[in-house]
Amino acid sequence: METLQGIVDNYYYMVAIILFVIGMYTMLTHSNMIKKVIAMNIMDASVFLMFVAVGYAHGSQAPIIRDNVEIIYANPLPGALILTGIVVAVSVTAYALSLVVKIYRYYDTCDYDEICEMRSKE
Amino acid sequence: MGFSEHFPALIVVVLFFTAFISPLLYRWARKLAAPAVIAALLAALAMVVVLLIQVQQFGIYYYHMGGWPPPWGIEFKADPLRLYILVVLISVSLWIFIYALRDLGHELKTRVIGWYYTLYSVLVGSMAGIALTNDLFNLFVLMEICAISACAIISIKEDRECLEASFKYLILSAMGTGCFLLGVVMLYMVTGYLNYSFLYQALVEAFDFYPLNIFTAAALFIVAFGTKAALFPLHVWLPDAHASAPSPSSAMLSGLVIKIYAFALFLMFYEVFPRVVLEAVPLSEIVLWLAALGAMFGSIYAMIQTDLKKMLAYSSIAQIAYIFMGIGLHHSLALVGGFYHIMVHAVTKAMLFMVAGVIIYSTGVRRIDQLTGIGKVLPVTMVAFTIGSASMVGIPGTGGLISKWYLALSALEIGRPIFVLVILASSLLNAIYYMPIVINAFMHQDEFKKEVKPVPGIMQLSMVVGMVFIIIFGFFSKPVVTLLEQAAALFF
Repeated sequence: METLQGIVDNYYYMVAIILFVIGMYTMLTHSNMIKKVIAMNIMDASVFLMFVAVGYAHGSQAPIIRDNVEIIYANPLPGALILTGIVVAVSVTAYALSLVVKIYRYYDTCDYDEICEMRSKE
Repeated sequence: MGFSEHFPALIVVVLFFTAFISPLLYRWARKLAAPAVIAALLAALAMVVVLLIQVQQFGIYYYHMGGWPPPWGIEFKADPLRLYILVVLISVSLWIFIYALRDLGHELKTRVIGWYYTLYSVLVGSMAGIALTNDLFNLFVLMEICAISACAIISIKEDRECLEASFKYLILSAMGTGCFLLGVVMLYMVTGYLNYSFLYQALVEAFDFYPLNIFTAAALFIVAFGTKAALFPLHVWLPDAHASAPSPSSAMLSGLVIKIYAFALFLMFYEVFPRVVLEAVPLSEIVLWLAALGAMFGSIYAMIQTDLKKMLAYSSIAQIAYIFMGIGLHHSLALVGGFYHIMVHAVTKAMLFMVAGVIIYSTGVRRIDQLTGIGKVLPVTMVAFTIGSASMVGIPGTGGLISKWYLALSALEIGRPIFVLVILASSLLNAIYYMPIVINAFMHQDEFKKEVKPVPGIMQLSMVVGMVFIIIFGFFSKPVVTLLEQAAALFF
């Protein structure tokens, strides 16, 4: 019961982990290369979600200091780090998509299995 | 310390700055582009040597980025071990770059060579950063930079195999960095730190309350660095990527890039996770057994290859396993062996890929069975191949023996002779696939049939330099081993 309560209280962690597993599974098993890139983004986003969630405390507010008010602040560091993480993920995505475009020009398909089939015939 | 106090950051900055100016130079002052990269690498090397001398005198040096002290700011750490890795990294990449000057024109279109210089400088700079940094998130960013530039020096050739191989590499290394970042989150959750030294302190306490988080993080780190460094069952991307790339890129990827990730895993095990964590779950044991399997299977796969560069790539999987063995055995002699092997294998495998590059440049042959009698037409090249193979097998007089010797000694010291057997068996397997090429090249009665282009002087010179260094490593290992013993003593 205690475990269950823990899961319900921290549902955002669960969401992040489920997304991570979906992303990783799709990335490794799907044969369509565009879907692989999308799955890569889902996986990255899930980690970012989890990182930002770590910085949040129940009932906390944005970390802007106001005079004479006693409130709980959310931890600003994860947010700052994830901003960098998003930039990195965008550049990886751009590079991956440009590779897909180049591969498409050679084979007229985005499907990895079809490409393997074509190559084995050569 | 004066100006030299900024050296840890400047090493990375100089290389990144060169990356930005080299395409411009290539466009407007083409003669200056390559010398600029060489000058940057030399400057970085000089800074590393100065730092190494200072660290030997005054002890470990911490550099705070922008003056912000940790745990808030990013910290770079200069200790003997990291600086040793940097010396190897920068001098080997300088050597490969000089070789590449001639080979690139043959393998790439002229207009992209300036961009190749950019990617090359970024790759070296990011690897230097990975070795120096003392902060997990900074490590993540540098790992992504390193992954993109490493994929890009493969895909810059723009033929079908290179594009496919680099896409595969990119996807798997994205999986690696995803797992790594999730591991970082797990550790940040329970400690609130990203700095290695602070984490080490905090994890001792946190381990009593949140063991599961810490175990998950450790498992994720093994998957992440294992994928990137091609630890045995996670090596699937390596053969295609390293074999299809242009030869200088192959030398770089096989010689240096996979090792820097092995070094990062070493830092996780020895500087981030405290002893209690490693004693509670057999993490080192897992790495050790995967390495033992990799040493065997890498060699077995290499035996059945028909393409020379593919064979060299599979051989890298077997050789990186020795380095992981050095990490997993948990003994100071094993660390000396593993780290000596980083240097020896970087030089040897880079040289072997140069040999493959020269053979392709001069004759266009890639298949192993067409190499019969090639020793008579390309003598220097094949002598280099012979010495490289000898070092891979571990024949006395070459650097390969020293690292295997120390690994075997430490395995005996901790009473696990089975790993001595693994090392011996793997060496024999190496001999089985390297030696026939050497024997066929020199002693086969058939003449080499293909047309042979003369090999440019600078390529031959690079190979001679490689040979000389492999033999120096075999006979004069004392100074480096002493340095490594001092460095390893800090961890035990």
